[in-house]
Amino acid sequence: MTSQQMPEGAVPPVILEVQDVVKLYGGKGNLTKALNGISFAVAAGEFVGIMGASGSGKTTLLNCISTIDTATSGRILIGGSDITSMKQSDLSRFRRESLGFIFQDFNLLDTLTGYENIALALTILRRSPREIDRRVKAVAAVLGISQVLKKFPYQMSGGQRQRVASARAIVTEPTLVLADEPTGALDSKSAKELLENFQSLVRQRAATILMVTHDAFSASHCDRILFIRDGQLFHQVVRGGSSRKSFFDQIMQVISLLGGDANDVD
Amino acid sequence: MMSIELALRNVRKNLREYTVYFLTLTFGVCVFYSFNAIESQQAIMGASASNGRVFKEFTQIIGIVSVFVSIILGLLILYANRFLIRRRKKEFGVYLTLGMNRGQISRILIGETVLVGLFSLAAGLALGVSLSQGMAVLTAKLMKVPVERLQFVFSAQSLIKTVVYFGVVFGLLLVFNAFMISRQKLIDLLYADRRSEWFKTPKLAQSVVVFVISLVCLGWAYGTVLTGGTAKVLDSASLRYVILAGVVGTFLFFFSLSGFLLKVFQQTKSVYLKGLNAFVLRQLSSKINTAYVSITMVCLMLFVSICTLCAGLGLSTSISQELRRGTPFDATFSTAARSNQAEGSYSGVDLPAALAQIGLPLGSVASQSLVVRYYEAGLTVPLMVRENGFEQRHEAKTYLLKLSDYNAVLRLMGQAPIALSPGHYAINYAVANAAMKRATQEYVDSRPTIAVNGVTLSAGPDTFHDNVMEVLQNQDYKMTLVVPDHLVTGLAPARDALHLNYLDPKDRSESLVQQAHPLLRAELKVDVSLWTRQEVEAFGNSTSVLVAYVAIYLGIVFLIASAAVLAIGQLSEMSDSLSRYGALRKIGVEDKMLNRSIFAQVLVYFGLPMALAAVHSVIGVAIAEQVVSAFDKGSVLGSSLFTAAVLLIVYGGYFLATYQGGKAMLRRQYAQSRRGVD
Repeated sequence: MTSQQMPEGAVPPVILEVQDVVKLYGGKGNLTKALNGISFAVAAGEFVGIMGASGSGKTTLLNCISTIDTATSGRILIGGSDITSMKQSDLSRFRRESLGFIFQDFNLLDTLTGYENIALALTILRRSPREIDRRVKAVAAVLGISQVLKKFPYQMSGGQRQRVASARAIVTEPTLVLADEPTGALDSKSAKELLENFQSLVRQRAATILMVTHDAFSASHCDRILFIRDGQLFHQVVRGGSSRKSFFDQIMQVISLLGGDANDVD
Repeated sequence: MMSIELALRNVRKNLREYTVYFLTLTFGVCVFYSFNAIESQQAIMGASASNGRVFKEFTQIIGIVSVFVSIILGLLILYANRFLIRRRKKEFGVYLTLGMNRGQISRILIGETVLVGLFSLAAGLALGVSLSQGMAVLTAKLMKVPVERLQFVFSAQSLIKTVVYFGVVFGLLLVFNAFMISRQKLIDLLYADRRSEWFKTPKLAQSVVVFVISLVCLGWAYGTVLTGGTAKVLDSASLRYVILAGVVGTFLFFFSLSGFLLKVFQQTKSVYLKGLNAFVLRQLSSKINTAYVSITMVCLMLFVSICTLCAGLGLSTSISQELRRGTPFDATFSTAARSNQAEGSYSGVDLPAALAQIGLPLGSVASQSLVVRYYEAGLTVPLMVRENGFEQRHEAKTYLLKLSDYNAVLRLMGQAPIALSPGHYAINYAVANAAMKRATQEYVDSRPTIAVNGVTLSAGPDTFHDNVMEVLQNQDYKMTLVVPDHLVTGLAPARDALHLNYLDPKDRSESLVQQAHPLLRAELKVDVSLWTRQEVEAFGNSTSVLVAYVAIYLGIVFLIASAAVLAIGQLSEMSDSLSRYGALRKIGVEDKMLNRSIFAQVLVYFGLPMALAAVHSVIGVAIAEQVVSAFDKGSVLGSSLFTAAVLLIVYGGYFLATYQGGKAMLRRQYAQSRRGVD
């Protein structure tokens, strides 16, 4: 295990703490261990990638962290609160207020304009129209989508849609942004732009992003990569001061080490 | 066989998904059977001849109405079916890629349609047969006929008719579905759930202009009705324009409404950017934008339904009230020349003597009796009748009646006799038609003089009376000129009437009198007619029941049709939008909030056409009230309350079913997404 990256000066607070999480599927006869006692932590302002082969448990992990699914045992702390002991009614509120989501298939509402899609995350928090307007426009400027705010999703390119979705995830200034294969449906140019956007979000707005991906190129934009195999943390790689190119090579090495069906990297 | 198995499984799956479709089919079959089975209801009542005839008429009229009803229900089923198929295009596409051919898919679809048809037919018939039992008792009560024996009421004829009519509808459905499948390309089937058609929201200015035009159309139609009154509106030419303006106005209203409302709400940011409001408004506007034609249809159907229920029931009450006017005594025999006899050949008959001759002396049946003779004077009275914007001259044939006879009739009815100063006459005309009544009053007000038997009489004050002076069912009341007794000497008799009030027990007297009628007709060489209070009341009750039933039948069918169209439309919209709700849930929207947004959508979607239809109906019922009160004073309030209750139950029921169905879809989708399909 490589030691955690530490910037000079103050130690950033831990945003996400996953402690010995187990997730079992199925009944008595056919028990599947999707997560087998996984533990790790993410600090504020980190852009962390999670990689692993199909069936390694990375989506289950993300679902457990995003409160969409519940862990069988273990604890998950986000911003200090233990989401594994929260009631169902509190979880929706927590999800609304503390988490931001970016999905592979965008999950934009096709009946709403770009502006309305981003605003939605704030309207369900009952923010004032003036504040909504200010924040939507600010985040759109950072992501370079000011021109498409009046358009409907079907009038946008894939990259624009995903940036609108990212704006929606980030506009509430959540504690943690969870991205599930955000570049999966994008062409390489759009993917590159999006990932650079993520980097600037982390730097300019101090966002914390946890991104699941199986694409090494996407992963190479992260600060740190966690590799998962058979429901356990297998390895992790920290970018540190190295260039994106050498970080990419590092990631490829681990992938070849992982072997097996991890070769499904595009 | 495999396709049967698949069909069975599909039906079971769809049973849950499309409760509303099955409910509608079942209700349709149930109502259709119940009303067509009316003839069988007389089984629980006394099989008296008059009832038999009434039920025959019932069945005939309901039969005619049923053809119309079956067309409405047929169209409704085709409409609902289109949604079912559209929802399942992808499934059919999958069958095709699995190597099934179109014939096999058609067979699955045939199997499903037959199963659905059989299921809803069976359920509807079972419900209809049970409903018939209660309805039979209700019918007897409404017709004021005693329930003689409570027994199982069943009409094989109605059953067969229902099966045949709905069989034809399902047959058409089969052809339609097979045709649909054979025309589809695989690629279109597989990607049917990808929405490619996008409606451009119209420009605000355009919406506003169209919206204003629609309000002008509706305002003009309302204004014409409200200011013009019945006479002007019922004039056929103007009515046509009012209806046209109403329909066009309604259409343009819904056509422009969503664009208009959306823009208005978007301007008020504090509302638009609150909770899920933006989402709900977008959902509604995209829905109304694509469905304005069907919403217009629903609104107009609701309007027809409300008016039919209200006016039909009002008319029904007024019919029975009007007919009850025609029963001042227990019975009236009257004689006149037979239609094949020469004019002037009638010389009068002595009815009490003739009755005694055939073995029924008056004392054996009547506690009170009165003989009255009408005289022929060759007089007609010119009336200027103004109705429906037309003025028409009507020559009212008038018979003469001695003042003493008139007063005797009044006394028998328990009214004060009138006095006639010398040289004056009085007119008694029981006509119920308001225009005729007005014309008679105008005639009398003009103080005309009439020459009777060489003497000129003038109209005095208090000249016009409208007493019904005999038992009569058909309301063919004749005008009577009441003159001083001495003036009729030497005039030819026109008709004689014998009024009876029965001895107790009245049923015995009634049957004796009824038996005497044919005997008397044979005995006397003139036309003898007999009307009794019991006959007129039974006829009045059954006629009003018939009118009420036809109104309820049509009203409910229209109501079911419109509510079902809305419910199916909303649910199919809901299932198309499931992914949107999934997205909302993922970004942290609570179920409570989602349910509220569904409620808001269903409420607006059901409320809009109902609101406009209700406003239309206030106007429509105002017209109907005038028509009904032109006939007689019928209470529209009572029927309005009944209509409101029916609306609440049927429309409210569909509203709730839609809301619950929408919530259930959401829960299922959530459960599926939680089960994890990754």
